Parts: sequence; structure tokens; C-alpha cells
Amino acid sequence: MASPTPDVISIAAPLSLSSSLIAATAFVLALIAVYVYTRLKSRVKASDILILGASDAGKTAILSSLVYDHALPTHTSLQTNFSVVALPNAKRPWRVVDVPGHPRMRDQFREFLPQAKAVVFVVDVSTVARNGLLVAEHLHQVLHAITSLPPTQPTPLLLLLAHKSDLLTSSATSTAPQVAVTRLTTILERELEKRRVSQANGVGVEGLGEEESEEMGGLECAGAGPFKFAEWDGGEVTIIGSWVDVDRSDKSINEKEKVGTEIQSGLQDLRSWIEQLS
Amino acid sequence: MLDHCSISHKGGAVLWSRSFTPAARTLAASAQSPVNSLIREALIEGRTSEEKYDKDGYAIKWTFLNEMELIFVVAYQRILQLTYIDDLLEAIKTLFLKMFEPFLTTFVASLHAVSSTTITTAKSLPVGAANWDFRTVFQSWDRVFDQVLKGLEAKAASERSSRLKAPAAAIETPPADDSSVAPTLSSERAVDEQAISRNVAAMKSKMRGGSQRAVGRKGAKNGGYSSGYGTASGNELPNIMFDSSDTPGKKKASKVMRKWGDQAPTESDMASLDFSYTSESTSTTGNQSANWKELVDEASLGVRGRDGSYEVKDWEFTEKGDLVSQTLATVGKQPGKPEKTTMGTLGSMFARLTGGKVLTDEDLKPILATMKEHLMKKNVAKDIADRVCDGVGKNLVGKKIGGFTSIKSSFQEALGASLTQILTPKTSTDVMQAIRTKLASPLSSTSVRSPYTMAFVGVNGVGKSTNLSKVCFWLIQNRLKVLIAACDTFRSGAVEQLRVHVRNLSMLTNDSPDLNRGSVELYEKGYGKDAAGIAKEAIAYAKENEFDVVLIDTAGRMQDNEPLMKALAKLVAINTPDKIIFVGEALVGNEAVDQLTKFDRALRDFSAAGSGGSIKGRGIDGMLVTKWDTVDDKVGAALSMTYVTGQPILFVGCGQTYTDLKQLRVANVVDALLAD
Repeated sequence: MASPTPDVISIAAPLSLSSSLIAATAFVLALIAVYVYTRLKSRVKASDILILGASDAGKTAILSSLVYDHALPTHTSLQTNFSVVALPNAKRPWRVVDVPGHPRMRDQFREFLPQAKAVVFVVDVSTVARNGLLVAEHLHQVLHAITSLPPTQPTPLLLLLAHKSDLLTSSATSTAPQVAVTRLTTILERELEKRRVSQANGVGVEGLGEEESEEMGGLECAGAGPFKFAEWDGGEVTIIGSWVDVDRSDKSINEKEKVGTEIQSGLQDLRSWIEQLS
Repeated sequence: MLDHCSISHKGGAVLWSRSFTPAARTLAASAQSPVNSLIREALIEGRTSEEKYDKDGYAIKWTFLNEMELIFVVAYQRILQLTYIDDLLEAIKTLFLKMFEPFLTTFVASLHAVSSTTITTAKSLPVGAANWDFRTVFQSWDRVFDQVLKGLEAKAASERSSRLKAPAAAIETPPADDSSVAPTLSSERAVDEQAISRNVAAMKSKMRGGSQRAVGRKGAKNGGYSSGYGTASGNELPNIMFDSSDTPGKKKASKVMRKWGDQAPTESDMASLDFSYTSESTSTTGNQSANWKELVDEASLGVRGRDGSYEVKDWEFTEKGDLVSQTLATVGKQPGKPEKTTMGTLGSMFARLTGGKVLTDEDLKPILATMKEHLMKKNVAKDIADRVCDGVGKNLVGKKIGGFTSIKSSFQEALGASLTQILTPKTSTDVMQAIRTKLASPLSSTSVRSPYTMAFVGVNGVGKSTNLSKVCFWLIQNRLKVLIAACDTFRSGAVEQLRVHVRNLSMLTNDSPDLNRGSVELYEKGYGKDAAGIAKEAIAYAKENEFDVVLIDTAGRMQDNEPLMKALAKLVAINTPDKIIFVGEALVGNEAVDQLTKFDRALRDFSAAGSGGSIKGRGIDGMLVTKWDTVDDKVGAALSMTYVTGQPILFVGCGQTYTDLKQLRVANVVDALLAD
């Protein structure tokens, strides 16, 4: 029985040494090219705007009015929406990521945070007085995640959106959006301060029996006083009011015309804020 | 009959919806809408595999169209036994996809931008940004939906045969002059022939006497889904036309059976029916390639030639299209399956390489089986493993998997996401925050601050007392004043056990240098007394002496022991603890489902009955899983428990010392469950 080895050699023999060398170098070069390409791709510039917030705050409605110019009626989201928004005066198109606000799904925002240029935290001001505790818990997680990003990554800008401000009545001295902003600031600062105090004095379940307990930070302020968004260590916080008028199917045509213009005005502040992002 | 129907994207945007009553309309616009509850309480918790969801007197049914990520939801009053809902969902699913496929593709693509650089492609898609007028796009859908619904209702009515309503409904419907007929895919000639013959049939049936009607009705009853026998009246027509489950062969048989009166028109009718099958199947093939705009044009052409009894015809054809259209790839399960089998392995491999592999039930079946077994090996209860895997499968059928990803890996990815969602708590697990909030809540000047109360319940020997003392230690570390109520008045040694714990905990706190420290006391009344009474006295004592927290230790009991469960419910109803914590051991397997369901139900039922049924019964608020350190990576009990109740696991007990109390790390549990 002939050994198979000579066969193998005879097949390989026709290839000259130089041609196999060239093939090998080409292969290595190709590998390097692929590697460099993937590295470049992975270090993509921050180009996302995250829309976060509690369930039923109006995130998907904002997304749809930004993308389609129609505030579609919405229900609780089951999955994250990614859309590209190109505002006429914006410096570049942004990808808007609308993360579901249901408590079971909202933690997904962490995986999008590294590419985020800005974080828009939407708060339903018409219910924030009631849900302040839960909203603050969610916001605390967001603040914590932003501050604990590695220093190599740029910190995203934070915008608190006092949404559904059209449901509030304007007072004599200020318009509805201003009322909304004031209310949001007061309630959330109070709730976050409570959280900060209870954390400073408390021991977490995880911290039992350990000397140095790992706590959820993100609420550090420049001043010594109570928590203020203006003095937050993690960066600048902008707070603006907004609303959208949802395009329900039972509206008449006249109302529909009105809706088109209202979407423009209700989200005007948000639009200009996005436009100044670079 | 229906209350609400909606078609929406999984991302939350509602594409089309309609409420049929004013009450349903206001409800649908609010945050408590049936669709919202369905998503929050059923779909997000991985209960996708269930058939029906009940909420506030509504029964809600749904179906997914995964290739377009759409959900179709129908809500109706639960007391109504509507048999046609499943057919309706299937029908609107097929029709909606057929009518709006190009638009939907663009829409879904616009919600899946990979990065901001894809803006150019988004702009260049056929439906530009200017065309995002959803109402105009879906305008034609209203009429189609009406026709489908009307047809199905008529059919259901004829099946019930309560009145001779079906033929009347079929004929008296006003002429349709809409452009919505795009998806009918019918040949006009067949339509006309059939329409004429139907009119004739209806005329005859009207002219005949009441006795004959009764016969017809009976016949109609027989001619439902199950029987293939024809009947001798006009009732038969809707039956044939709307019957989606019968095979064409059966229908033919039914037509042969039809013999009544002077019968010339029916024969021609029969011929036209037979002809329509073939012509329609060919037209289906032809239309597959046609794009949406062409469909619309075709439809407007069709409108001119249509006559009065149009919509039933329309419905019939689309329904048949569902049966016959094997050529339509990826529409529903029925058309999808045969295509896949004929394509063969080579074809499917090629499709997979080109990234266009569409998952079918057949593809998923083996993986479902292996993953169910895998989860059961991780100590997940069988029932739960089945339901979770089926739910994930239902979400995947119809999805495209691209490139070189295997079906198994994409299934595992989806399963991981689903498990994370199930295990992630939907309410805050921050017990300390809840305690502080309650203690800090403003009081009126006369009332005394009441303590935060937690009741620990569970079966025998799972570690209620041990873990209660661990929780107590944690509370003391947070400088709270704790009172332990020894309400296990049954097992000998239970009170002594707590006394030892209290002594140990007091010694620990006395050693600490902190002056503003917490403290613990035991409230005991010996054995054989009524536990509910002791708990009440303990809370009153705690109020007087300004304790912050009361921990109620209850006797262990089997979930099947009704007298003991009633006693527990009484304790809960009288004392209304802030948290009812179910203590379960991580070693439990299939039993977990039974334990939790029965505890939860018993608490709800009996505590509601105890208070005169005026308030809603209290269920379990959270779980404490003990003996976590003994199970290694077989952490399935955590999944079973959270799935059954939907409530979070607040603590995990994992050792013998007071500090061995942890919180659940969802990511670790999911990893352990998926690990080989």
C-alpha cells in the first residue's frame, strides 16, 4: 500500500515557493485590513440620542413626531426603536434610540449609552407628583450610569424633558411649559435628595458584612447643600417643557390641520436643542 | 360585538385602531387601555404562548406578524363567546400584510436604523419622508376591515342559527365603492356569476315559507366547521364562503349535495365556484410580484364593475387565498410551511447564506425541545419551561435570521432577552426606600405613626425564621428599631428559635460603637394562640413604643391545607402588612409553581372574602429565595417563581450567617440558566 504522503507533496509541488509566499502575505494583509476595519467601526463617533423615561411618558410619541411629523397613538413599547432624525438646521443627522420604559426592559439603555451623544429623559409632568418616587429611581439609575462611564468616553449631555406640559394650566406669571419645568425640577430634586440621604446613611443588602459597601452614586453635587440639577457633578442638565398632540383617528379634518402646527410648536424647544448638538 | 381592535408595531406605534363603543374609546386612549395591559402584564412577562388574556371584563386575543414586527389585538367583552376571533385575527393579518407590505417594510426599516449614516438609504426608500401620512395610507383599510368583520359575524350568526340573519346580512349590505378591494385577487367574472347566483338563492329563500327556513337553519348549524354536508337553503353560501378550515374537496362535496326547488341557477353557481378556485390561485401568483401602487390601480378598476353583494365575495376570496396561496411565501404558517418543505435543505441553506432565511415552526421545533429540556435540567419547572420557550418561539416565527447565525444561537439570544425581562423586577425592590418613605410620610396631628410591617409566609422548613432574622440584621444595620412578632404558635421550638436570634442580634448591636444604632425586640405570646391576634397586638405594641419595622413570622404550612391557608389569609386581612414575602427554597422544582399559585390565590381569595369582598384581595408582594448556595447553577427556581407571580425576588439567602443575604443579580441568573 502506497503511503499517502508523496501524493500530498506532489500536489503541493507545482506551487513555487514565491507564489505561496505571495499568497501568504496577501492573506495576512487581508486579515490586518479586516482587523483595522472592525476596530475603526467599533470606535464609531457618538451619534445617538437616547430617549429614556418611565412607561407612558410619551417617548415613542416624541420619536414618531420627530421622524414622521405625526404623533402616532402609541402603547407600551415591546422593543427599542432606532430612527434617524435629520432636522433641517441640525449639524448632522442623529440616530434617535427610544428605549422602552417598562421597568422590566428599561435597563437596556446601558448598552446604548457608550455611543450616546445626548440623553433625553422624558417625564410626564401631569403625573410626576404621584409617580415622583418611581421616576426618581429610574433617573437615579440613569445618572449613575452616566457618571460611571469610563473617562475615555465622552459624557453624554442630559436633557430633562417636562413632557405633556399642555395638560398643565398656565399661571398668571408663567406659561404652561414654564410651570412644567418648575414642577419637574422641584419634585425630582426633592426625591433625588431623599435617595441621596437614605443612601448615605444606609447599608445596602449587598453591603452586609463588608467594610466598604458598593453604593449607587451619581448624585454628587458641587455644593454641600441638597441635590440640585444645576450643581450636578455629572455635567450640565438642561430642562425644557414640551408636548405633542397625538394624532387620534377620531379627530376631524379641521383638527388634523391644527395638529400639524401644534406638533411643531410643542416640540420646538426640543428640536432647537437637538439642532445645536454637534 | 367587538370592543376594540388595533394593529400596532412592537415598538409601540399604533398604526390603526378602532373602538366600537364610546366606553372602549375612552379606555383605549388612556394608559389603562386593554392593549397596554396586555403588553405590560402578558407579553413583557413572557406569557406570549398563552391563548387569551383577561382584564377588567375584557377578553383580549392577539397575534404576531413577526416579519413586520406587528401585533394584532382584538378586545371584546369576556361574557361573549365569540368564536370567530381567531379567524378574524388571521384574516386581518394576511390582508393587512398583502395590502401594505411595501409601506410596512419601509416603516419597519425606518425604526431599525443601524447608525446615523444610513440616512441616505432611508431617504431613498420608495416611501419618502413626505409620505409618512399614516392616516391616508391606511384609509382603505377601514373598509376592508368592515367587510372582514361583517363577513365573519354573519358566518358566526348563521352558525348559531338563532335567526335567519346570515343571508340577509350577506345581501343587504350596501354597495361597496371603495379602493380597498386590492387584496381580493379575484377574477371579476367569477365574482359576477357568484353574486348573481347568490342573489337568486337569497330571493328563493326569502320567498319560501317559515317551515323551510327552519330546515335551512338546522342545516346551517350542521354545515359549520365540523361537517362537510351541504344544506338546502341560502344559508349555505356564507358557510361555504367563510369556512376557512374546510378543504376545497369537502366544499365540492357539499355543493353536490345541494338539491332543492328548481335548481338551474345553483348549478351555474357551483360551476362558477369551482372555477373561482383555480382562477383565484393563479391570480394570487400573478399578484405576488405586483407592488402596492399597482394593487391600488387594479382595485380602482375593479370598483367600477362591482355590484351590491360585493364584500362577502371579497372576503371569500381572500380567505381562500389564504388556503391556496402556497406561492405566497412567509405570509402565515399555513402557506409558509409547504413552501419550506418543497424548497429542500439545499434551498434553505442557500437562503440562510444570503441572509434571507425565514424561521418557521418546523425550524424551531427541535430547538424548542432541546431548550425546554435544558431549562428543566436547570431546575425550571416543566410547565414554566414549556411556556417560556413557546413564547420565545412565537416571537421568532416569521423573523429573518441573517448571515451565518444559526437558528439555535438566535433562539438562545431571544431566550436570554426574554429571561432577563421575566426576572427583572417590574416594581421597585428597594425595601429600604419603601420603609423610609412610609416612616417619613406626613401624618395628621392625632394619628400615631404606624410601623412598616412585613409578613413572611411559606411552606414548612424553607427557612422563614432564619431568613427573617437575616432581614432583621440588615434593618438593624440601617439603624431601624425592629420588632419580631412570633406568630408561629404551632411548631414547638419556633418561639425559642426566634428568641435565640433576637439575643444574638442584640449582642451584635450592643457591640457596635454607633450610638444611634438599631435595636430588636421579640413579641411573643407562647403557643396555641391565634396568630392573627398576636400579630395585631404586636403591631399595636410597636406603634406605642415607636418601632420602625414589624417582622411577622408565620407558621409554615402546605399550600393544600385549606384551614391553615384560611388562617393565614385572616392574618393578612386583619393586619394588612406592607409587604407579604413568600419564602421559597431554591431547591424546589416543579413544586414551585403549585406552591406559589396556591399561596397567591388563597391569600387573594380568602383575604378578600374576609373583608366582605369590598376590597381586592392581597397577593404576594415579593419573594425571598433561600438555600441559594446549595444549588450551584441550577437556579431555575428563581425563574419559576418570578414567572408564576410576576413579583420580584427581593432577597436571596445564601449561607448560614446573618450577613448571607443578597439581592438577585438578574444577569448572573440568566447566564447560569443559559450555560451548558
